Amino acid sequence: MEKRRLSMTVNGQLYEVYVNPKRLLVEVLRDELGLTGTKRGCDTVSCGACTVLINGLAVKSCSVLAMQAEDAEITTVEGLAAGGQLNPLQRSFLDHGAYQCGFCTPGMLMSATALLREKPDPTRREIQEGIHGNICRCTGYNSIIRAIAAVAQRKPGEEGQ
Amino acid sequence: MIRDFVYLKPGTLDEALALLSEHRGECKVIGGGQSLLILMRQGLVTPAYLIDIKHLDELNSITFDNKDGLKIGATTTHRTIETSEAVKAHFPVLVEMEQNVASIQTRNWGTIGGNLAHADPAGDPGPVLIALDASFRVANTEQERTISADAFFLDYFETALQDDELLLEVKVPTQKPKTGTAYEKFTIIKNDLGIASVAASVTVDKVGKCTKARIALGAVAPTARRAIQAEQDLLGQTLGEDLLNHIAQKASEEAKPISDIHASEDFRRHLVKVLAARMVAKAWKQAIASA
Amino acid sequence: MKKYSVINTPHHNIDGIAKLTGRATFTFDVKLPQMLHGKILRSRLPHAKILSIDTSKAERLTGVYAVVTGKDTLGIKQGIWRRYKELCDEEILARSTVRYVGEPVAAVAAVDEDTAEEALDLIEVEYEPLPAVFEPLQAIKEGAPQLHEHAERNINVTRHIEWGDVDDAFARADYIREDWFRCSSQHHVCMETHCAVSSYSPDKKLTVYTSTQSHYYIQVLLAWVLGLREGDVRVISRYTGGGFGSKFELDSAQFCSALLSMKLSRPVKIVLTREEEFQATKRRTPMFYYLRTGTDKAGKFLAKEARVFTEGGAYTSMGATALYLTGFFQAFPYVWPAYRYDGYRVYTNTAPSSAMRGFGAPQATFCAESQIELIAKELGIDSFEIRRKNAMYPGYEVPGQAWIQSCGLSGCLDKIEEWIKSRGPMPPNRGIGIAAYGFMSGGIFNWFDTPYAFSTAVIKINVDGKVHLYVGSQDMGQGSNTTMAMICAEELGVTVEDICVHMGDTDVCPVDVGAWGSRETLMQGNAVKNAAAEAKRQLLEFAAAQLAPNIVYDLDIKNRWAHLIARPERGLSYFDVVKAAVRGKDGQPIMATGHYTPHRKGMISPAYSFGVQAVEADVDPETGKITLVNCVTAHDCGQVINPIGLEGQLEGAMAQAAGYGFTEDLPMDEGKILNPNLADYKVLRATEMPETRVFEVETYEPEGPFGAKEAGEGLTNPTAGALANAVFHATGVSIKNLPITPAKVLNGLKEKRNQKAAGSGT
Repeated sequence: MEKRRLSMTVNGQLYEVYVNPKRLLVEVLRDELGLTGTKRGCDTVSCGACTVLINGLAVKSCSVLAMQAEDAEITTVEGLAAGGQLNPLQRSFLDHGAYQCGFCTPGMLMSATALLREKPDPTRREIQEGIHGNICRCTGYNSIIRAIAAVAQRKPGEEGQ
Repeated sequence: MIRDFVYLKPGTLDEALALLSEHRGECKVIGGGQSLLILMRQGLVTPAYLIDIKHLDELNSITFDNKDGLKIGATTTHRTIETSEAVKAHFPVLVEMEQNVASIQTRNWGTIGGNLAHADPAGDPGPVLIALDASFRVANTEQERTISADAFFLDYFETALQDDELLLEVKVPTQKPKTGTAYEKFTIIKNDLGIASVAASVTVDKVGKCTKARIALGAVAPTARRAIQAEQDLLGQTLGEDLLNHIAQKASEEAKPISDIHASEDFRRHLVKVLAARMVAKAWKQAIASA
Repeated sequence: MKKYSVINTPHHNIDGIAKLTGRATFTFDVKLPQMLHGKILRSRLPHAKILSIDTSKAERLTGVYAVVTGKDTLGIKQGIWRRYKELCDEEILARSTVRYVGEPVAAVAAVDEDTAEEALDLIEVEYEPLPAVFEPLQAIKEGAPQLHEHAERNINVTRHIEWGDVDDAFARADYIREDWFRCSSQHHVCMETHCAVSSYSPDKKLTVYTSTQSHYYIQVLLAWVLGLREGDVRVISRYTGGGFGSKFELDSAQFCSALLSMKLSRPVKIVLTREEEFQATKRRTPMFYYLRTGTDKAGKFLAKEARVFTEGGAYTSMGATALYLTGFFQAFPYVWPAYRYDGYRVYTNTAPSSAMRGFGAPQATFCAESQIELIAKELGIDSFEIRRKNAMYPGYEVPGQAWIQSCGLSGCLDKIEEWIKSRGPMPPNRGIGIAAYGFMSGGIFNWFDTPYAFSTAVIKINVDGKVHLYVGSQDMGQGSNTTMAMICAEELGVTVEDICVHMGDTDVCPVDVGAWGSRETLMQGNAVKNAAAEAKRQLLEFAAAQLAPNIVYDLDIKNRWAHLIARPERGLSYFDVVKAAVRGKDGQPIMATGHYTPHRKGMISPAYSFGVQAVEADVDPETGKITLVNCVTAHDCGQVINPIGLEGQLEGAMAQAAGYGFTEDLPMDEGKILNPNLADYKVLRATEMPETRVFEVETYEPEGPFGAKEAGEGLTNPTAGALANAVFHATGVSIKNLPITPAKVLNGLKEKRNQKAAGSGT
């Protein structure tokens, strides 16, 4: 099958690749671009481990044809920490132990990022619904919910502990 | 694994229709792909051509006016519908329905047109749109036609769309005054596909008698379907406990559920009974309270 | 002054930066030069003879490099039970007979996954179907299809535990009750499926990156089945995406990728799909349970008799341990003057059932605690009173089985009773149920027959004071790396930032038998503490020489300060001591080792954790749907080491255990799992998780490092039972068949109405 040209910006960097059009976005990110932070955990668009942001929207990249990301701006977990510093959300996850094995974590962070952009001060219920699409088998979610809530409560400009 | 296909990305609706006509029978149309890609990964669907309409802005819109009601373009995402002020103001039941569909990620990318064309018997929009008397505008290169939501779903994953037709728009008529609509699905985990679901819409007159009723059942038949007898038995009545029980019983008899790993046929029928009673009561209450 | 400087203070998990930035390379992410991709062909029949396998078409497909079948193996039947050869019954790649749907029969290596998958379709296997049997109570009958030649009536193993005079006690009992229960299966649902990248090189060395709970076990098992020298097999598992009991046995991804790599001398990667994960990796042991209990009229326990049949599946796997532990923990956490347990593990043509978090104890606790609640109701005794009057206590000896040293059970009962009182009266259709448990803190079993100490740690201190800690333990998300760093830092007198933990590489790390049986904190923790103590002793020699105190003074290091304990202001910086020590040792870094092996610690474990959990739940009487409202746990894990990690383990255990109670199940049809995906298999999501609270009941466990015990596995024991009891209190219906589904609740309510109508009442 003839490969098609695909151009997209990922974490602020412009990439041009040639892919078989049946390739999924998660495959291109991981296998072509080497960004293995984004994971896969299922085949039924259920687990959310593959969640990335496409033009700011949280989407499961296992269920997006790579070609549909043409000219899009994509953010993966690798794009969160700027200048070698954890961002406030990552910092909060660190402080609250909101990760254990870490496999669901990248997708969880992306969903949480999208949630906080839309709802900077979410209630517990809103957080539960915001990360509903992400399965975590280790934490039981409550530490993640606390971590997200704590970011919201942090005063602007307050970094770190 | 996904079989190779030729990827086509039409720039306009007319181009899309032309491609659909040219490759009819050996192509599939992809919106957000949230359902289609699973089928393609499992090898159940193997189109030689894939027509990508996700980016067609012509079909990405929500408008409302009092005359024509609500119009939602086929490539509008679930999330756009969920967060639309117009939808919230005029059809809050659609917002509620969307909030319970899959996950935010799926709603961010999946389209209403794709969902309806996929025709999963447990799909959420189907019963609600049937209850709202919605209709779908579809077209091919030759002509346009309108199919009522009620007549749109033919069988498991099969719709009234011809193989060269594209779903363009969902139209929901302005509801009559004193109308209430409610929807609920039964799931174990929130936002899962319903094990059984019921959408009910009730219109009452000044003295509280029902002048119009729609009861649409989901996940308990090969397609979303109306419980017609139950609807008829509501007409001209005022709400009471006995009537509610009768309607609920009737609705459960009109369901055609299967037994599977999630529930037995009997349990599904029972759920229809419970949900029908609850949704009819809720819709009725809304109708009485509304202007 | 605070007792400890490091342990029991909140410290973030030390793998955080890697995991939060996408830097953590899981086996799932490993990519090696020249790497090929593998796929496994699996049996679609539950029981059949393999007559022939024709791989020629597959081999000819462009892009396929190799195909292997059982004929390419040494035909070794392996298993964890190396001490008991008859229990090593699994070839992994079947040679002549398949015994469950999903059993591997061939594997392919190709340029990419798609090609490998295509090649599977071209492999022609001729089977002769054999009669199959799926239920243990059918399989044990005369004339049932036999799975293994050596196992008559398909009895795989039996276990018997007994003390006291059971029959006499029943004869004297004022009250006797018997109940039957069915405990379902459950799947681990690790977010990272089983996977391996095997790389065999021409110098006959094999490197395997894999997702595992015991790199040591995998090293030894692979060497065994492949005919390699143990030391020539290197297993690397720096990050493991979840284990929960599914990843300490040799699995098909590891075995098949290694075989293919050995054939090609190229790396081969195999990642199981989620469907394969459900169908063909191991699962929680389903059990048919009979309990008979006798008490006096005041509710004092006199005797219990338990009989269990487990659905073993096609191979022994770890099922024999689950069989024993369910019988052992059936008696926990109470004093039973007389007890008798008989367990039978029965082979069936289903995927092998094995180890899953709790290892037979969640099943035991569900049954025991459900029955105790029913007994309490019938005798008119309060739920707490009946448990208190029979509770284990510090110093109790389970006859012939275990010594309970630390035991905070009564404190746990107090805390939960207090919490329930604070909740006040329940609204209609809501109930609170409790369950008490005790669990092992480090299984002492050596069925693997390792000659090594159970756990070893090595420390090397650089001249700059950086401590390199080499552990054999495996961090699979439970946080053992952080726990070990904290124990090391506490003992040595430095900070966690001074420790660099090396984990997950058999070439580099000393042996630890793996993250199973809740052993890491107690056993690896003791080994680390011992190593740190030895390193400190060496450093203090040099500190003493420099400080020249009166001989009666002791020295210690705390907060990077080596000092006289009696006169802490007299001291030296830890960094200076290290520099002096390196110089004094002719330029050698400080090296120390520590190890731990349980000796004379009873039959199961050196120590036991305890707890009581309360689950508050709403039950919709019309639909039977259960909604969790609250979950509160009081538990005793001795000394808390890693409080953030502990809370996470508790909440995670609760979510898994609640799933076991009411949402997760593995229905099968003729041995085929009907819901092998995450849409149909229902794990709890964030939306189902209630608020949780933890009460720590602190005790001191002499066997544990700083008095610590496990926390993470025991916590999966009580939830199903507590939930069942919540449903019982909310509805009056006792459901003895897991999971507690809405349909079962409704049936129970219907039966209750019918009974009432018929006049028999409750």
